[in-house]
Amino acid sequence: MSQSRREALRRQQEAQARAKRTQRIVIVGAIVLALVVVGVFGAIFIGQLNRGSAPASGGSAAVPVNATADSSGIVVNPGKFAAGVPKVEVFVDYQCPVCKQLETMHGATLDDMATKGEIQLIYRTMTFLDNNLRNDSSIRAGTAAACADNAGRYGAYHDAIFAGQPTTEGTGYTSQQLRVDFAGVAGITGDSLTGFQGCFDTRATQSFVQGTNEKAAQAGVNSTPTVMVNGTKLDNNTVFQATPEAFRQLILTTKGNG
Amino acid sequence: MPKPLAARPWVRWATFGARQILGITLIVAGAIKLPWPEASVQAVRAYQLLPFDLTRPIGYALPVLEVVVGLLLVTGLFTRIAGWIGVAIMAAFIFGISWVWAHGISIDCGCFGGGGETENGIAQYPWEIARDVGLLACGAWAGLFPRSPLALDNWLFGVGTTPGDAADNEEELEESTA
Repeated sequence: MSQSRREALRRQQEAQARAKRTQRIVIVGAIVLALVVVGVFGAIFIGQLNRGSAPASGGSAAVPVNATADSSGIVVNPGKFAAGVPKVEVFVDYQCPVCKQLETMHGATLDDMATKGEIQLIYRTMTFLDNNLRNDSSIRAGTAAACADNAGRYGAYHDAIFAGQPTTEGTGYTSQQLRVDFAGVAGITGDSLTGFQGCFDTRATQSFVQGTNEKAAQAGVNSTPTVMVNGTKLDNNTVFQATPEAFRQLILTTKGNG
Repeated sequence: MPKPLAARPWVRWATFGARQILGITLIVAGAIKLPWPEASVQAVRAYQLLPFDLTRPIGYALPVLEVVVGLLLVTGLFTRIAGWIGVAIMAAFIFGISWVWAHGISIDCGCFGGGGETENGIAQYPWEIARDVGLLACGAWAGLFPRSPLALDNWLFGVGTTPGDAADNEEELEESTA
C-alpha cells in the first residue's frame, strides 16, 4: 500500500469518525431538549391536577349575586352604604390562622361599620395556602362561602368558617363542616340550604374563587390578612395593635391612592 | 512549556466536584418544587420583581430547568453549557434576593420549596446570597474547565475533544487537522 493511499484511507476514517461524533452530539442534544419540553408539559399537567378538579357538569361557572363588577371579591353589605364611603377590602385565606385573629380582633368593628353603611366592605378570598399546606380546603371553603352569598348569608357564613377554623393549621375543613355545620351557624335553612348544598356539591362557584385569588395576587397581595382602604394597604403591625376604636379611625382617615 | 491548567488532574477532579455540588443542589431544589408548580408561581410572585404575567410561566419552567441542568452536571453531559446555565440561574437568584433585600421585602426565598412573605426572612438573606455565590463559582469552574473524569462528555465528544477546548488540547487538534 502506497504512502498516499494509506494517507487517504486515514483521512476517510477520520472524516467518518467526525461525522459519527457530530451525529451523536445532535442526537443527545435533541434528547435533552425533548426532556425539557416533556418536563414543562408534565409540570403544567401536574399543576392542573393539584389545582382542584373542574366543576362538575351541571354546575356552571356561577358568579355570586353580590360579586364586585370585576369579580375580584364579594360585597358584604350590598345596598347599605352611600356613594363615597371608604371601600374596605379584606384579603383572607380561610386556612390562615392570622386571618382568624384579625376576625376575632376587628371582625365585629368591620361588621358594625358595614351594617351602618360607614364603609363598603368587600372580602377578597385567596387560596394560596392550599399550595403551601398541600390540601384543597381554602378553595373548598371559599367556594362554599361564595355559595352562601347566593343564599344571602355571605357575611354570616364567612364568620362561621373562622369560628370553626381548626386549631392546627393544615387540618383543613371537612365536607360535613362546610355543607352542614357552618351553614347551620350562618342560619341557612330550608330551600336556601338545599340550594346552597347543590351549589357546593357541583362546585359552581369554584372558578369564581380561583379568579378572586388570581386577581388578589395581580393586585400585589402576597400574604393574608391584608386590609386595603381605597386601594391603600394598611400596615398589619398597626392593625394588630389598634383598639377597636383606633381601628375604626384608621379606616376612616386612611387616604386612598386612587 | 508548562502543562496547561485545564490538563492537570487536580483541575479535572475539581470540575468533577463542582459538577456534583451544583448538580445535586439543583436537582434537589427542582425536585422539591416540581410537584407543586402553583406554589412555585407564588414563590416567584413574592419577590414582586417580575411582571405579573411572567410569573406563571417562570414558576412552572424554573423547577424543570433546575432538574434538567442538575442532571446534565451530575452526569457530566454538555458540561460547559450546563455550567454556564447554572451560573445564569444562580446570578438570577442572587439578583432576586438582593432586590427584595434592597426593598425591605421579607420573604422566604422559596429556593427549596416554600416561599412567600415571612417575618424574619431578611436575616436569612446574607447566608442565602453567600450560598448562591458559592454555587455560582462551581458553575463557572465547570464552564471554564469542562473536562472531568466520569463524565458522559468523554463518550459523547470522544476523549479529550470537548468542542471549544482547543486551547488546552493543541496536540490532538493539530493531529486531527493535519
